[in-house]
Amino acid sequence: MGKSDYYYLPEDRVPLPPADAKVRTTACDYCIVGCGYKVYTWPVGKEGGPKAKQNALGVNFPTSILSGKWISPNMHNIAMVDDRPHHVVVIPDGDSKVVNVGGNHSIRGGALAQKIFNSNKPSQERLQAPRMRVRSVLQPVSWETALDVMAGISKYVLEKYGEAAWAMKTYSYQYFENTYALSKLALGTIGTPAFAPHDKPGPGNDTPGVDDAGIDPFGPSYEDWGAADVLFISGTDPYETKTVLFTQWIMFGANPNKKLIFVLPRKTGGVAWGEKRGGLFLNIIPGTDVVLQLAMIRYILEQGWEDREFIDKWVSNQWEIDEGFGRGTRNTPWQWRTTWGKYGIGFEGYKKWILGYKYAELATAEQITGIPAAQIKQAAAMVARPNANGSRPKASFMLEKGNYWCNNYGNTTSFATLGLICGAGNRPGQVIGRGGGHQRGWIGGGSYPRIKSPEKVPGRRKKEIDLDRWVVGGHVRFAWVVGTTWLQAMAGSQELMDVFKKATQGNPHQLASFDTQAAIETLKQRVDSGGMVVVHQDIYPVEPIGTQFADIVLPAATWGEEDFTRCNGERRLRLYSKFYDPPGQSRPDWWIAAQFAQRMGFKGFEWKDSNEVFEEAARFSRGGTLDYYCLVYKAKQEGRRAHDLLRKLGTQGIQTPIRLEGGKLVGTRRLHDSTLKLGTPEGPTVHAKKLTVFNSHSGKAILHRSYWEDFADFWEAVKPKGDELWVTNGRIGEMWQSGFDDKRRPYIMARWPYAFLEIHPEDAKARGIESGDMVSVESDRVYVQTGAYVGIEDDDLTFTKLMERGHIKINSGSFTCVAMVTDAVRQGVAFNYFNWPESPGNAIVPRVPDPITNRYRFKLASAKVRKIGESSYKHSLTTMSFAPRDIA
Amino acid sequence: MNEQRCEHNSNEVRYCLSRREFLLAGGTAITLVALGDLAWAKEKGLALQRASYPRTLVGKVSKLKIDQPIPFAYPWDDAHSQNLLIKLGVPAGGGVGPQRDIVAFNTMCTHMGGPLGGTYKAPHKVLGPCPFHLTTFDLTKHGMVVSGQATESLPQIVLEVSRDQIYAVGVMGLIYGYHDNKAAKA
Repeated sequence: MGKSDYYYLPEDRVPLPPADAKVRTTACDYCIVGCGYKVYTWPVGKEGGPKAKQNALGVNFPTSILSGKWISPNMHNIAMVDDRPHHVVVIPDGDSKVVNVGGNHSIRGGALAQKIFNSNKPSQERLQAPRMRVRSVLQPVSWETALDVMAGISKYVLEKYGEAAWAMKTYSYQYFENTYALSKLALGTIGTPAFAPHDKPGPGNDTPGVDDAGIDPFGPSYEDWGAADVLFISGTDPYETKTVLFTQWIMFGANPNKKLIFVLPRKTGGVAWGEKRGGLFLNIIPGTDVVLQLAMIRYILEQGWEDREFIDKWVSNQWEIDEGFGRGTRNTPWQWRTTWGKYGIGFEGYKKWILGYKYAELATAEQITGIPAAQIKQAAAMVARPNANGSRPKASFMLEKGNYWCNNYGNTTSFATLGLICGAGNRPGQVIGRGGGHQRGWIGGGSYPRIKSPEKVPGRRKKEIDLDRWVVGGHVRFAWVVGTTWLQAMAGSQELMDVFKKATQGNPHQLASFDTQAAIETLKQRVDSGGMVVVHQDIYPVEPIGTQFADIVLPAATWGEEDFTRCNGERRLRLYSKFYDPPGQSRPDWWIAAQFAQRMGFKGFEWKDSNEVFEEAARFSRGGTLDYYCLVYKAKQEGRRAHDLLRKLGTQGIQTPIRLEGGKLVGTRRLHDSTLKLGTPEGPTVHAKKLTVFNSHSGKAILHRSYWEDFADFWEAVKPKGDELWVTNGRIGEMWQSGFDDKRRPYIMARWPYAFLEIHPEDAKARGIESGDMVSVESDRVYVQTGAYVGIEDDDLTFTKLMERGHIKINSGSFTCVAMVTDAVRQGVAFNYFNWPESPGNAIVPRVPDPITNRYRFKLASAKVRKIGESSYKHSLTTMSFAPRDIA
Repeated sequence: MNEQRCEHNSNEVRYCLSRREFLLAGGTAITLVALGDLAWAKEKGLALQRASYPRTLVGKVSKLKIDQPIPFAYPWDDAHSQNLLIKLGVPAGGGVGPQRDIVAFNTMCTHMGGPLGGTYKAPHKVLGPCPFHLTTFDLTKHGMVVSGQATESLPQIVLEVSRDQIYAVGVMGLIYGYHDNKAAKA
């Protein structure tokens, strides 16, 4: 007795919004699905009643099953509105006809109200004032001081060391207004090549093999996934992390009897459900997807099950690739991959190649992937075998990070090819795309200056800077980090942390005065002595970069605290309304970027509100996937603000690209839509090619050969040796990203007080591990690439050659977890949460990006797992469930 | 402390709120600060109208068999107040009886009201998956979500044992559909 763990003490009532409560629409701040929500606010001291007339929801309480109008206690909070305390209810929109029809929601979005700053709740930890580290302590200062110091040292760094020494690492999704302002500053104005989004070491596509095929990974609409007869889902269980896409559209949708095929090394709730309903679970050895996909393709071609009619009409032949320049213009990263002989190929050539390729043979595939040949054949039949009446099953193909963060190029090219030969990619219910992670909130206010990057692949082709390697190489003097857990979120994170520590804390030149000039002078000495100045801008203090390493910390205003916009995974654009006052002196990121820019003397940052940024950014969206220019045009015609026109569209919003037809705004259901008929473009409307055909010069999709040999040397090096296990990682539905909000939710913290490691019963037994034990996960084989910015000979950047040339260093990494023993993971494979900042799982992930695409292989690591004791949760009756997640 | 005397127990001094505390501690008396809402206190009329939880006999310790759930209605008689009384066979948060393994939970999913009545999974001591959206709840840990979409744990029925009799005396957590468990009395 006397032990007290996390506990959750639930409420047994919730205040109802009175009939006159103010209501606004928004969408969820979290996953790609972007469910619609309504926000009710009313002054504290008043409550609505249970009769429909007495409350703003207009329903009688008790509400019925599936009413979409029930308010759970976690949907309620208190916030300050115009300086006065208000009740706030954030509830899924029960009237919604799209996305989360009828008020469906995830556990994350359903608890959005707990995100709100409330000084009586854990969200009181929000950053509230700019801080500067003076005499080792981050102390509150004015915005003027913080921004003046940043501008002063930035000018010095840019002048003396050049743009590539001034770095920005930023989220790529947290609303158009912010990403546009930040990228206009960093890329469009300063023009630095030292720029990377939150989840990768440099800019570029996540699924380049899919893009190279001419397929926009966010082309499909949710109703397409719903209408399919069979879904091939690789590297994700959408139930966990794209919840309503699964619980609304995959479980139901136009065809609720669809069959699901999952490719994962771990079984979770959605997989168990799919399997029970005649689906298939392909329990794969991590990193071997390309071999599985090639074996399926080969088997389908051997059986003659390919969609010949579709291929003849929609797949490029060799001439169309070579003479049509493949997918794009010369000297872009994708151009050489599609055309210069090694990858891109016409169908006949592809068929000939794969029928002679040994890694596409069933027996070889069974041995490499660990999936029985019979299951591979069964999966092939499910997606491709024509029905008895000659019709084809409508097969759609969804991939996510378990697929593309292993063997980025090989997995994604073979994935796209598999889908294409089955006739998917451009028709209702027959689509190829990503499930998605975060929402689509990026509008670039400038192009990435690839010409300034020192990196290049063999040939004349430039490639983006790998910002992590650039920092480790000592080339960055000023780093501005916006809304991301940079260090733990990247691969080989231990070394990155060591480098940051040395360049900041470890540098002798530390601020000792609040005087702006004195501060700038000290920081000049810092950078001149090889050190680095770090600014962290976020909503919470982020360990360790925002607490231990940053010289300046800036408080950002976020969701609900400013009017923002962005698109979800089917390109649905909505307004995310402001409904309460941001905490303290926090300001939206666009404002912070603008204030800094003005101090730098840059023009074009004089916006008065977020709507002005939104309107300006529209022209940078033109012709693209997220094109909303016509919305702004229409708003101007009507004499309104564009935000206000979008506000009228509520949670339904409109799917981009937006067109004008007969003076009305028309959304786009799916991209590459062979069924879409377009007339003459009206007014400013752009009929981008990708609306109706594939995204290549010929308008046809492009097949690529995918070689296991491109990747096998790395995979062989990483795979477990001795008593090591594969350690792969991923997500759980109850947490969003680094848990920055979830860790301020007592409900979630009782469920997940600490990071977990799922381990198979046999592997656990061999190590004396039981559920609830604290385990260490340690690797002394963390491969880290150093230098090698330039490739000259064809194989210069392969793992084997990097090793030979001394560009691979072997580091170590370690973290702890609470063990969960379950046969939901494959024997020989352990699974941990992907980014739990206090348990930095990426410390053991090799920092060797795919040499073709610069993407990390986050999902592949090996480590020794050892019991180090019992966690206090092992015998707790209030904290952390150890029940399995795959109960059907 | 926002204590409220329970009207159904005039012979004994009992406090509804202290039952919730008692339950969470799994039988150990601890003191927690109640989250009193000032707004309610101001609305005196509303506070007076709110009924307390009844004390209802729901079963007998001697009749319960491990993993064989028994349905009962509580705190009221409507479609929302449907619960299961279960002897889990392993100690549980809030469990009563000699083995502290007897628990009771409301069976409407706290996500969107799905019926969980027939979903008990004995090997895991779990209710679910919910037929609507697949949420599962761990009955050994106060009904916390194992995997799924509910934004609250499954409401746990507070139990008391008097000799062989098992009484339901309160509810920890808001029952799906209600805005106030106590005000929902028909």
